[in-house]
Amino acid sequence: MAKNKTTAEILAEARAQDGGGRSAPSAADAAPESEVAPAAEVPAESEPTEKPAAAPAAKPSAGKPKSTSDILARLRAEKGGSKPAAPEKKAAGKSPAPKKAATATSPAATGEKQSPLEMLKAMREAKQAEAAEPKEVAETPSGPKKPVRGNPAAKRKSAAKAEVPRRGFLVACLMAPLVLVSSPFAAAWTFFSTATAAFSLAMARFMMPNVLIEPPSRFKVGSPSDYPGGTVSTKWKAEFGVWIVNTEYEGKSLIYALFSICTHLGCTPNWLEGEQKFKCPCHGSGFYIDGVNFEGPAPRPLERTAIRIAPDGMLEVDKSQKFQQELGQWEDSKSFIELA
Amino acid sequence: MLDPHPDLTSGVIHGLGYLYALLFCMNAYWAVRSFKLGYHFRLPKSLGGQDVPSAGPWAMYAVLLLLVALAHFVSAGRPDAFLIRLPGWLQDLVNVFADPISYFALSTVLFVAMIWLREWWVKPTAAWVLLNITLVSMGLAITDYDFRQIVGKPDNVPIVGMLFIVAFFTWIYFKRANDNDKRIAEGRPLFEQENNEKVLVWPDLVYAELICMVLITVVLVAWGIVLEAPLEEAANAAKTPNPSKAPWYFLGLQEMLVYYDPWLAGVVFPSVILVGLMAIPYIDFNKRGSGYYSFNERKFAVITFLFGFLPLWVAMIILGTFLRGPNWNFFGIFEYWDTHKLAVLDNVNLSDLFWTSMLGQALPGNMFLRELPGILLVLGYFAILPGLMAATVFRKFFHRMGFIRFVVFSNLVLLMVALPLKMVLRWTFNLKYIVAIPEYFFNI
Repeated sequence: MAKNKTTAEILAEARAQDGGGRSAPSAADAAPESEVAPAAEVPAESEPTEKPAAAPAAKPSAGKPKSTSDILARLRAEKGGSKPAAPEKKAAGKSPAPKKAATATSPAATGEKQSPLEMLKAMREAKQAEAAEPKEVAETPSGPKKPVRGNPAAKRKSAAKAEVPRRGFLVACLMAPLVLVSSPFAAAWTFFSTATAAFSLAMARFMMPNVLIEPPSRFKVGSPSDYPGGTVSTKWKAEFGVWIVNTEYEGKSLIYALFSICTHLGCTPNWLEGEQKFKCPCHGSGFYIDGVNFEGPAPRPLERTAIRIAPDGMLEVDKSQKFQQELGQWEDSKSFIELA
Repeated sequence: MLDPHPDLTSGVIHGLGYLYALLFCMNAYWAVRSFKLGYHFRLPKSLGGQDVPSAGPWAMYAVLLLLVALAHFVSAGRPDAFLIRLPGWLQDLVNVFADPISYFALSTVLFVAMIWLREWWVKPTAAWVLLNITLVSMGLAITDYDFRQIVGKPDNVPIVGMLFIVAFFTWIYFKRANDNDKRIAEGRPLFEQENNEKVLVWPDLVYAELICMVLITVVLVAWGIVLEAPLEEAANAAKTPNPSKAPWYFLGLQEMLVYYDPWLAGVVFPSVILVGLMAIPYIDFNKRGSGYYSFNERKFAVITFLFGFLPLWVAMIILGTFLRGPNWNFFGIFEYWDTHKLAVLDNVNLSDLFWTSMLGQALPGNMFLRELPGILLVLGYFAILPGLMAATVFRKFFHRMGFIRFVVFSNLVLLMVALPLKMVLRWTFNLKYIVAIPEYFFNI
């Protein structure tokens, strides 16, 4: 007994203690049980009808609600009380219900405990019963009017229309925006969407800064004679992210500029003079001096920038244009300078 | 004294002294434990053949460790003359195996051995011997400068810790699984049923958690004070550190990126790993082995998961942390990180292999024709293999799972196997991409 108590047992114990604190233990033991059972049984019949009958009866015996079904029963009873018209109509058709409830009471009174499974069942059935309720309320002509939620503006509008059509229309137009804040729900969504829209606009503005602090995409890198044949200049890598290469490519002696961005995942490769290759430190991609990939995972050659000889005889690199070998763009005369 | 990279310094020797002293304490405890439990073993016939308490050898070993520790403390002042260090031939031997192929093969062999010998290595004595071997070899290896540079880097300290933690938890799993497997075979109740010690969340669990929280906080604070954070200079877009390493938990992904295109290794595979792990409960039809440890009850599930986790994830993290050096070249643990190490890695695409090497033709101009062999291969891999699997090895799985579940399952398995497959292809054929359409950034 000390070990492995079920939830029902623990609940029963707690209930017994609770009851003991309020009234005679013997009465407390019996009373909560008898009040539990009908509540559990009633929804099984899906009959809100007899709730007012069962629940008020149970009420006085209970110091406070003892189980989920108790609470449900009480709630239902209170709800039933506020709709006096409904039970009268329904009571007519349903007579076997009270009998059932009565029979159900007896085993409970003998001390049988309610298991969690039963409670769950009762709750589920109670829910079903509740779902069925509103329909019946609607059928009842004398039932209390359902409070109308939301859209008071719309209601006013229709009312106004009927009376004074033209001025009513103007008023309606003026009042229409009020729909947006007519209920807490609508207001919340309105404010939320407004804030989101404002934030998005601010973000869009952020993308177009007033001042852009970055190196120009078009810049001069000195005269062609600064770059002797067969060399890679790393002079401009730190500032502009390009290498200036002077080498043979397809039988021609060319000067061109390569982006120092690995075509695999965008790390910055290093030029290794001893090995005569560009080598990426991230995943080991390697490129020949002409920029063509040959080792590691890089799928395509390095990209070239546009390059030209400016009117003053200096080399001018334009990083805003790129030329990819696999697309045949290296043929473009803008991507290199051929040395005589 | 003039050597800028001394293998031994007095500080290192002093620290190693503490390591051996700790090992002495551990083994002294073990000898006492062995004595109290009354363990015995039989000497071989040539030595007399009588029963000897196991505590004896353990005590002798512990005393040896104590002597070694004392030797370290005493002679810390003269590092050049210190003799307890890793022999050079052993370093060379280890460095011989320093390439990705041997590494992956070795980790796979270890994985198989781990499962094969699970009855043996979960025994406390076997595990204790393994732990001792690991710690002593680590103590010896630390006498090498290059090894110390890698292992002692503040970045890498948690990885060393992780190695021991992963080993420990794997050990726990196999120990309890073996126990339950034996119980099931003998028809006894499971460990979890027999020792059903239910405790309450409050206070039992919450107290334990509180203590853990305090301890972890203390460890973290001490760690933060003792080991300096490995901060570097301000980031520079034009300068990538060499080697550039991802955070340690992403090193498996970084290793994957060596073999696959970024969109696959960086986007598709991680998503498939995450979704696939989430899908496991829906794919698994084996109702046994739920809620208790066991290996025999769910061999396939355990082996598949552990293969994905140990050789394909943890081993890749170790590879990325300790064995990848400048230019992402592979370096042995005792090898100097030479930026100019030459590794021949000329890779070719399958289209080159097929059209140029096999057929002796020029590459076709049309890229789809060019990549046709690779495309067919990949489509075949994912279209034909599931059917073959269903008809042969996984026939039972197919019947239990049904069509859709089996297709999901087989594709997940195939995707997981795709990684080691591509690694092997890279090593054997220098294969870069099976399908290479750089024009549209589509490479497989």
